[in-house]
Amino acid sequence: MGTLNLTKVTKSFGATDVIKGVDLTVNDGEFCVFVGPSGCGKSTLLRMIAGLEDVSSGDVMIDGRRVNDVAPAKREIAMVFQSYALYPHLTVRDNMGLALKQAGVPKAEIAQATDKAAAMLSLDALMERRPAELSGGQRQRVAIGRAIVRRPKLFLFDEPLSNLDAALRVQTRIEIARLHRDLGATMIYVTHDQVEAMTLADRIVVLRAGRVEQVGAPMELYNNPANTFVAGFIGSPQMNFLNGEALGLRAATVGVRPEHLTLDRGAGKLVAKVSHLEKLGGETLVYVVNPTHGLITIRLFGEHEFAVDEEISLNYDENKLFFFDEDGQRLY
Amino acid sequence: MAQRKPVRWHIVVFLAPAVLVYTALMIVPLFGTLNLSLFNLDETKTRLFVGLANFATLFGDPRWSGAFWNALANNAWFFLVHMLVQNPVGILLAALLSSPRLRFSAFYRTAIFIPTILSFVIVGFVWKLILSPIWGIAPGMLDAVGLKSLFAPWLGKEEYALTTLALISVWQFVGIPMMLIYAALLSIPDEVIEAAEMDGVTGWSQFWKIKLPLILPSIGIISILTFVGNFNAFDLIYVAQGALAGPNFATDILGTFLYRTFFGFQLQLGDPHMGATIATAMFGIILVGVCFYLFAIQTRLRRYQF
Repeated sequence: MGTLNLTKVTKSFGATDVIKGVDLTVNDGEFCVFVGPSGCGKSTLLRMIAGLEDVSSGDVMIDGRRVNDVAPAKREIAMVFQSYALYPHLTVRDNMGLALKQAGVPKAEIAQATDKAAAMLSLDALMERRPAELSGGQRQRVAIGRAIVRRPKLFLFDEPLSNLDAALRVQTRIEIARLHRDLGATMIYVTHDQVEAMTLADRIVVLRAGRVEQVGAPMELYNNPANTFVAGFIGSPQMNFLNGEALGLRAATVGVRPEHLTLDRGAGKLVAKVSHLEKLGGETLVYVVNPTHGLITIRLFGEHEFAVDEEISLNYDENKLFFFDEDGQRLY
Repeated sequence: MAQRKPVRWHIVVFLAPAVLVYTALMIVPLFGTLNLSLFNLDETKTRLFVGLANFATLFGDPRWSGAFWNALANNAWFFLVHMLVQNPVGILLAALLSSPRLRFSAFYRTAIFIPTILSFVIVGFVWKLILSPIWGIAPGMLDAVGLKSLFAPWLGKEEYALTTLALISVWQFVGIPMMLIYAALLSIPDEVIEAAEMDGVTGWSQFWKIKLPLILPSIGIISILTFVGNFNAFDLIYVAQGALAGPNFATDILGTFLYRTFFGFQLQLGDPHMGATIATAMFGIILVGVCFYLFAIQTRLRRYQF
């Protein structure tokens, strides 16, 4: 069990509105990712669900129970922090067992629960160490273990991978995904990295300036973004936005993903000058400049060679274009 | 063709000022004092080396040793009152100050710290006036709340005087442990406290289980500072009770005992050699205390990186 309902939730710090009315339902067992640029309120929203921030108005419901005024510990949720937030003076075992100990669970049961969590996260050999004797990745696993031990209704992750290096981030990401499958628990995960959002989420909530821009499965957001913000935020490299009128199309802005642009040495629909080339081996990113549309990114598979300032012409499939009005809302 | 390392003169040059100043002001006087304690005057007032005879007098002669053990016992009590009152109260105040719900915390912090920056002369004299049974305000204030029967001339009674002075000193210096602990509490990351909130460790149990273990190193530092400060104390007693540390030497601590012996007071003649002997004994006591802290306590305290 672990269903979360947010109804018209707002948060203001003094005169500043940080969360401006969020309605959201997270179903039992779902992996839900909050994504958005920094300052969009995603962490604040998570902290409101955790009970670390008061809710200014609206309702936060967990399993149908209104928890606005319930203390964090009584909400049956667990949180993994960006900085791990382990207790420096306790061993790994005590870090994981503290919540149960505080709740008065018998010692044998605590030991059983911590051992089980340790086995899941391969922390067995580290149980008697203190956080200072662990690497960043190990600390993060302990923080996750501390959350698992409590068998919460809801797992909250606040940018848990941002302090890890790139290789470890991928590894831990896979581990979190596996954990979600194994536990079948409801997880809410905050990140600013759209790759993490795309790879982990059952459903992504895109936030901007305290409002939900769009909610949907990763591919839904990729294939059917509601506005230019979501279109630009989801997908890497970012979608190109072209001037619709200049192309003779009936839209203010036309979006086309870098992977949907093709090169046409002959007569393409667009002519542009190569300004920069990024060769990644498996793919090549070509940045070209067109006087009316500005910088355009093209994503080509395999290795390609271009000279800077070379003139090339581009083509696109009209069926793969996204049309937006003046306000950035999707037309069709 | 091993090239010889050039002499690194800059190290000597940069160290020299500090070493010279410290040697001139600390090391030379210290060894001067230790040396002085090994000499005394004979009948013809000539100085001669007596070895440890001064120490034999200090610990063996009933009048000397009586005064010495009285001062040491008083000093120990003085220190104990600070450890039991000043430091726990300082920790409590710091815990209250660091509570985010407390308003005017900057005002309280400053107000509690102000006595620390006052001169001991003012503190001693003001408290003497406050507690005076004749013109003090303490009897009147107690009378106003109907507790006049509790009043006693605290500074004038043998059984109360030392404790009263210790509490005055606590009042003056409680700001120091408060500030150190306050800084240590602020250095605990918010996320650790939030994690504790999520784990259900709140309120007092949060203080005992999370915050206190993390500020233990600071408490250790405060303890040793208190120890050194108390066993070197002199000024407050001298201002409030004079060099005789009355009534009847009830407030005599090592500092006042040393002062009377070294410089003389009223009918007592100054005796630099016995004074140096007492100073050496004090040095030994503090050295033993600090070594005990450094080797037995500090090595067991863990410092945490967040």
